[in-house]
Amino acid sequence: MLYAVPHRLSFICKQSHAARSRSGPPAASWLRILPRAGLLSLALVVGGLCSTPVLAQGAAAAAAPGASTPSARTAQSPPPAAPAAAGTRGAPVTPGSAPAPAASGAAAPAGDAAPPAEAAAPDTRGLDEQVQGLKKDVVDLNRDLFVLEEELLYPANTQVAVFLSMDVGDFFALDSVQLKIDQKEVINYLYTPREVEALMKGGVHRLYVGNLKVGKHELVAFFSGKGPNDRAYKRGATLTFEKGIGAKYLELKINDRQRRLQPEFEIKDWE
Amino acid sequence: MSFQRPTGARARRACAGWLVAFALGAAAVAFAAGPGYELLGHEAPDFALHAVSGGNVRLSEHRGEVVVLSFWGSRCPPCREQLAALDKSLATYRSAGLQVYGINVDDDQSRALDFAHGETVSFALLLDPEKNVSRSYQVDNLPMTVLLDRSGVVRYVTRDYNAKAQDLYRQQVRTLLNE
Repeated sequence: MLYAVPHRLSFICKQSHAARSRSGPPAASWLRILPRAGLLSLALVVGGLCSTPVLAQGAAAAAAPGASTPSARTAQSPPPAAPAAAGTRGAPVTPGSAPAPAASGAAAPAGDAAPPAEAAAPDTRGLDEQVQGLKKDVVDLNRDLFVLEEELLYPANTQVAVFLSMDVGDFFALDSVQLKIDQKEVINYLYTPREVEALMKGGVHRLYVGNLKVGKHELVAFFSGKGPNDRAYKRGATLTFEKGIGAKYLELKINDRQRRLQPEFEIKDWE
Repeated sequence: MSFQRPTGARARRACAGWLVAFALGAAAVAFAAGPGYELLGHEAPDFALHAVSGGNVRLSEHRGEVVVLSFWGSRCPPCREQLAALDKSLATYRSAGLQVYGINVDDDQSRALDFAHGETVSFALLLDPEKNVSRSYQVDNLPMTVLLDRSGVVRYVTRDYNAKAQDLYRQQVRTLLNE
């Protein structure tokens, strides 16, 4: 777009020059007959000329090694966005400092602009390191927040966590597990093939975490899936446990019983 | 007082005025139809659903892929056409990282199963009998297509199906795959 505007300017200039040479009207009269679109394009041209140093700066950045992408972005972006893009990509260039070299020599050759671009390369590396550091901080903060959230939502005194593990799994292909505590459904979890694969490799899934008051409670788990001979298979397991002061951990275990060629489901209470 | 028919420059000005008004009206309608969907630009709600062909599908397992969710019903003829069109798209763009899921919203699950068994699409058709997923995705029209980018953000929503929408959908898919 910036390249098209000077072309239009030259067109307007030629037109006005031709009109002047033919009939010789004063400047005020040909300005009067100039269409509004011409005035608009004139304004665009002025804007384009004002942003020319920024383009020159973009070209200088392109001359620097490894700076091809930012320069391309600057060239493609509209003139008002160009200083901002340069400011974000190249650390030393700020919107406020951009016009300074332009004022010293707007028509300066590209060679004059090259040294600042070379100087900008180490600063870009520093910026990358800063970004990496910020990312690490975000990850650390996220971890701390997660731990804090767990401690607040599930205090150690009332916490109950139910895990699920699987051993071999030749006789049972797990599809879903429904969990009820004190006859109230707390979770119905569907297992995807990837999750089942992870379980069969020895993974343990934290199926549920919640709060329970001190006392006696009943846990019922329903396991759905495909059993031997690819038949739909649904079994349940029940455990009555005593919740004391402190966290309670329970484990649902799915094992293969080789003697009966059937799967086995049990609930283990981790003291 | 007599009414004079506008001529010349006045007629051109009036015509231009009408055109501008029409363009503004069309833009307003387009704006109202587009951003009306609250989930646009937000992370897509995660879900796990049973597939007709067996097994379960969890959306969060497909981070890094462009996912198309098409909500369909067995009593919706355009849904059948759309599923066929999506199947063709999947065949073309699967290697580039496209994943398509058809989510059924029928009350009668047996009807949905009959419909699904009649279809020969290569992607998974999921069942949502309790309509939890449909509710979370604010499905208000069938067929409805939701496009998620590689980071799991809802980027485009199409609430109808026709040849024009299909072209637009392909363009959107290409845009997301190229990101």
